Amino acid sequence: MAFLLCGTVAVAVLVGGSPYWMYNMTVVALFATAAIGLNIMLGYAGQISFTQSAFMAVGGYGSAILGTKLAVDPWLAMIFSAVLAAIGALLIGIPLLRLRGHYFGMASFALALGTPSFLLAAASLTNGPLGIAGVPPLRFAGVSFLDPIPIYLLAWGVCIGAFLVEISLLKSHVGRAWRAISTNQDVARSLGIDARKYKLLTLAIAAVMASLAGSLYVEFQQYVAPDIFDIGLIMTIYLIVYAGGRGSIAGPLVGAVFYIVVPQLIGSLEQFQHLVFSALLIAIIVLRPNGIMGRGRQYAPVERILPLWVQRRLRRDYD
Amino acid sequence: MTSAGTVEPGSTPEGLVLTQVSKAFGGVTAVKDASFSVMLGQIHGLIGPNGAGKSTVIGLVTGFLRPDSGDIRFGAHDLNRMTPEAIAQVGIARTFQKATPLVGLTALENILVGMHTRYHGGVLAALVRTSALRREERGMAERAQMILERFGLADDANTDAGDLPFGKLRFLEIARSMVLEPQLLLLDEPAAGLNRVEAARLSALIQGIRSTGTGVLIVDHDVPFVFGVCEQVTVMNLGQILASDHAAKIYENPAVREAYLGTQRAQTEAGA
Ligand SMILES: Nc1ncnc2c1ncn2[C@@H]1O[C@H](COP(=O)(O)OP(=O)(O)OP(=O)(O)O)[C@@H](O)[C@H]1O
Ligand SMILES: [Mg+2]
Repeated sequence: MAFLLCGTVAVAVLVGGSPYWMYNMTVVALFATAAIGLNIMLGYAGQISFTQSAFMAVGGYGSAILGTKLAVDPWLAMIFSAVLAAIGALLIGIPLLRLRGHYFGMASFALALGTPSFLLAAASLTNGPLGIAGVPPLRFAGVSFLDPIPIYLLAWGVCIGAFLVEISLLKSHVGRAWRAISTNQDVARSLGIDARKYKLLTLAIAAVMASLAGSLYVEFQQYVAPDIFDIGLIMTIYLIVYAGGRGSIAGPLVGAVFYIVVPQLIGSLEQFQHLVFSALLIAIIVLRPNGIMGRGRQYAPVERILPLWVQRRLRRDYD
Repeated sequence: MTSAGTVEPGSTPEGLVLTQVSKAFGGVTAVKDASFSVMLGQIHGLIGPNGAGKSTVIGLVTGFLRPDSGDIRFGAHDLNRMTPEAIAQVGIARTFQKATPLVGLTALENILVGMHTRYHGGVLAALVRTSALRREERGMAERAQMILERFGLADDANTDAGDLPFGKLRFLEIARSMVLEPQLLLLDEPAAGLNRVEAARLSALIQGIRSTGTGVLIVDHDVPFVFGVCEQVTVMNLGQILASDHAAKIYENPAVREAYLGTQRAQTEAGA
């Protein structure tokens, strides 16, 4: 359902040809791609992780450095960065996934916090606070992916690719193993499932998705700077996954649309824009605590603050 | 696997062998110098009062806990240093004392999780959904459905495991651990909370599992249930093994009657 709706909107935007909306929907696709990675890790394998912004930086800076300093072809730079991100995921995950649940989350939060500082400090590679300008754009057969339509199509192509990876793995025994680990790791292990290996797999898949999103963003902005990858980025990706519905396939997409498109739609409200957006967010937390597309019983203790007749109404919806 | 030639003459065909195993949690000694063995193709009971260390023994054997000292072997495998998943893969399955539904997965999916290690297809096959994997998936689902039928859960295949009533959940948990086709099955209080009919059905199922050559270790408080189904019984108290012998001999062992059966009977009579 959600996919059909989004597909229709995507085509409409394309046909409508507004560069402004095309730009917004391109950003939606990139955020959704990174969010799908987090959704696999957090929503299905139940692993709290704040690694996505760091891996987006690997993609963004990988493409920028390879493209400007080494004159590597942008397509190759994008692929190479993604491979690097996957290797980075294994290097981080192999020692740190020995830690249980929350501890890996905390360790990875340190990574997210440290990413901008690291990018500032490694100035000989990254130009420090100045960032890297003039990143060569993607080109294919005379088409430049700086133009709104090609980058729009490419971003959505990558996003759909990420969805297909998510869906096919989830339908298989691999996805079932993730869900088993997430509900009861001890039971999964007692059945011979190597929980650490499967979490490592989600970390690597998420890293590749984040890296691709980072590369595409930088290659079409032609510019990268450390503050893009600050703590706000990972918070945004979390917000997208939680608002959209963690552990739901369409969740990251719906969340990304919510985060990017809604503020634009209510932009005319000027100074009330943030207020209205916050109110909408609170409404989601209260009414759909598992996210807009969230499955299962939608119930939160916050419901109790609502008037009784509203509570009764909500309950009726569950049954 | 040891070939027949390397087995010492006169050694018994024992599956699981614990030698002088000890485990303490902080100051509490949960298991102390425990030695006993469970043979394949036999049903072995492990009884003892609350806190005797029975669940700790299961945890130690299945790699969820590490012994402080002593040796745990299964055939040629030294279990002391193996992870729970590796131990499951060499043929030791277990259930847990507390309820462990994989919530959010249907009963059928719970069984399929148990069959996970039997899949040939890997991550790449799953990614491109090869026809071989799809065929494998269909075969597994059919087998899982058959297993549900055998455990009286055929009508609950599509029920979320979290919504199953307690008795059915217990059978689901046992079925899920059994589809590994283990050589040794460790059941932690499988009959607790079951009614008479369910307990009888459980006995029959356990006897069926044994007849395929699997060794079964049953931890339980229910003395009639244990002596009704077990050939071999080990009695624990305060972390130590009081006795380990044929069920009939245990039943007559005065020390055991004194320490455990006697008190149980006294309680039962006092309660009646
Ligand atoms: N993880 C743990 N941390 C601390 N103490 C523990 C732990 N697990 C068990 N114990 C203690 O070790 C002792 C043995 O516990 P265990 O669970 O093995 O007993 P049990 O024979 O299974 O008892 P029950 O019949 O009540 O299940 C108890 O005193 C218990 O409190
Ligand atoms: Mg116990």
